Amino acid sequence: MLTITDLSVNYGAVQALSSVSIEVPKGEVTAVIGANGAGKSTLMRTLSGLVKPGSGGATVGGVTITGRKPEDIVRLGVSLVPEGRSTIPELTVEENLRLGGLWRDKAERNSTHAQVFDLFPVLAQRRKMRADTLSGGERQQLAIGRALMSDPRVLLLDEPSLGLAPLIVTQILELVSRLARESDLAVLLVEQNAVTALRVATTGVVLNLGKVVMVGSGAEIASDEQLRHAYLGY
Amino acid sequence: MTTFIDYLLGGLGSGAIIALMALALVLIWRSTRVVNFAQVGQAMFTTFIALSIQTWTGSWYIALIGALAAGAVLGVIVQYLVLRPVKRNDTSGAIIATFGVLIALQAAAGMIWPGGSQAFPQPFNNSGIEFAGRVWPISIYDFVVIGITALLVLGLTLLFTKTSLGLSMRAAAFNPEVARLSGVRVSRVLTFGWALAGSVGAVAGVLVAPVSTISPNSFDILLVFAFTAAVIGGLDSLIGAISIGVFAGLVISLVSGYSDSGNAPVVALLLLALNLILKPEGIFSHHKARSV
Repeated sequence: MLTITDLSVNYGAVQALSSVSIEVPKGEVTAVIGANGAGKSTLMRTLSGLVKPGSGGATVGGVTITGRKPEDIVRLGVSLVPEGRSTIPELTVEENLRLGGLWRDKAERNSTHAQVFDLFPVLAQRRKMRADTLSGGERQQLAIGRALMSDPRVLLLDEPSLGLAPLIVTQILELVSRLARESDLAVLLVEQNAVTALRVATTGVVLNLGKVVMVGSGAEIASDEQLRHAYLGY
Repeated sequence: MTTFIDYLLGGLGSGAIIALMALALVLIWRSTRVVNFAQVGQAMFTTFIALSIQTWTGSWYIALIGALAAGAVLGVIVQYLVLRPVKRNDTSGAIIATFGVLIALQAAAGMIWPGGSQAFPQPFNNSGIEFAGRVWPISIYDFVVIGITALLVLGLTLLFTKTSLGLSMRAAAFNPEVARLSGVRVSRVLTFGWALAGSVGAVAGVLVAPVSTISPNSFDILLVFAFTAAVIGGLDSLIGAISIGVFAGLVISLVSGYSDSGNAPVVALLLLALNLILKPEGIFSHHKARSV
């Protein structure tokens, strides 16, 4: 579904990504893992249009997305949940969700809204409350819910585990992987927490200093001791 | 006691006008983190346009609508010509640029409408209402001013809380990045905000002109009061701008009544200083602190 080909990104003289190629099929979770500074967030920000690529690019269902504006990329079916539970604290739960699909046809938007409430019942209970009254886990659910409101074909998740209790991380990631299977969604998950990410991912991609150093099944990567020591630090 | 109440009543109309101008400042600040000092210049310019329309058509209503439209257009022009070229994140550069716009607008108005101060015709009776055996210091025109202000505030509240455009505007102001990722065309929304603020300021100008006069510099003092109200209200709060704006009108009326109207700006600046010392983030602000 999402095809990344030879993608390079430079910040001034620093090459943050060099010739990265990744295939993200639909119905599966693909995890990109690597240490701090490996280029994971840069990859996500480039795919969502916040950062311009140097060379190479990415397509979704054959349509090029890289180089476009974020507001156009989300309309092409690629939705990012940025790092750090990016909800808008001053808005209510309901408003944060509505924001995710304002441009869509009202009837379609309302049906997605109902699906999101089915998926995250706690958001339905708290719909009138301001987002900053939610717990960390609830806010992450809201951030994912907002991203789903655009009815994406590709969901980009940037470090969803950050600052959350392990049990909640597991619940959220299992829900995401179920969502991928049931809604035929292509999920690209970026994580520093490799163990958790590889548990739900069909395919794992190891990123180091902006380069892809290994691609394999989640289990393969998790069991490669040398790789773990070299790149993942455990 | 009756004098005190009289002074308070007499301050309501000017308070409403200060509130509108403060509201225009807050609308821009919320979305761009820039205090638009050109706002009164824009309002002065559109009030001159309104005066021309009034002279030509004889209708105050057409003049008011003309000012609304001209205010929106001028707001967009100011954003495109001045603030877009200023580098993003360079807010002090942008603020200085708004001063430049103010001076340019005042110079241009002096050339287009020469002859110094001009009277703006009274659209409604502006003498005190007679009621219960005495004349009260509030006129039909004051009620029109308060009514129009209330309608605008109601309209803006509905826009911000009930419509998709309003939600986009709030999201773009609070977190432009998340707004863009959600599909909001933030730069368009910002331009709409400039148009909206321009219109609100233009209404304030048309409303204040009949009770003062209109000249290229006649609204400068309004900027002082509106800026004070906006800052004390917290700069990003619409409710703050409105309530402190009205409050400022009352204080000015009391100060002018008990001492001299020349003391009002000094009192405004004292209140501003006091606010910045005691509660620098403003009374209605969402944010915890603001560096001064």
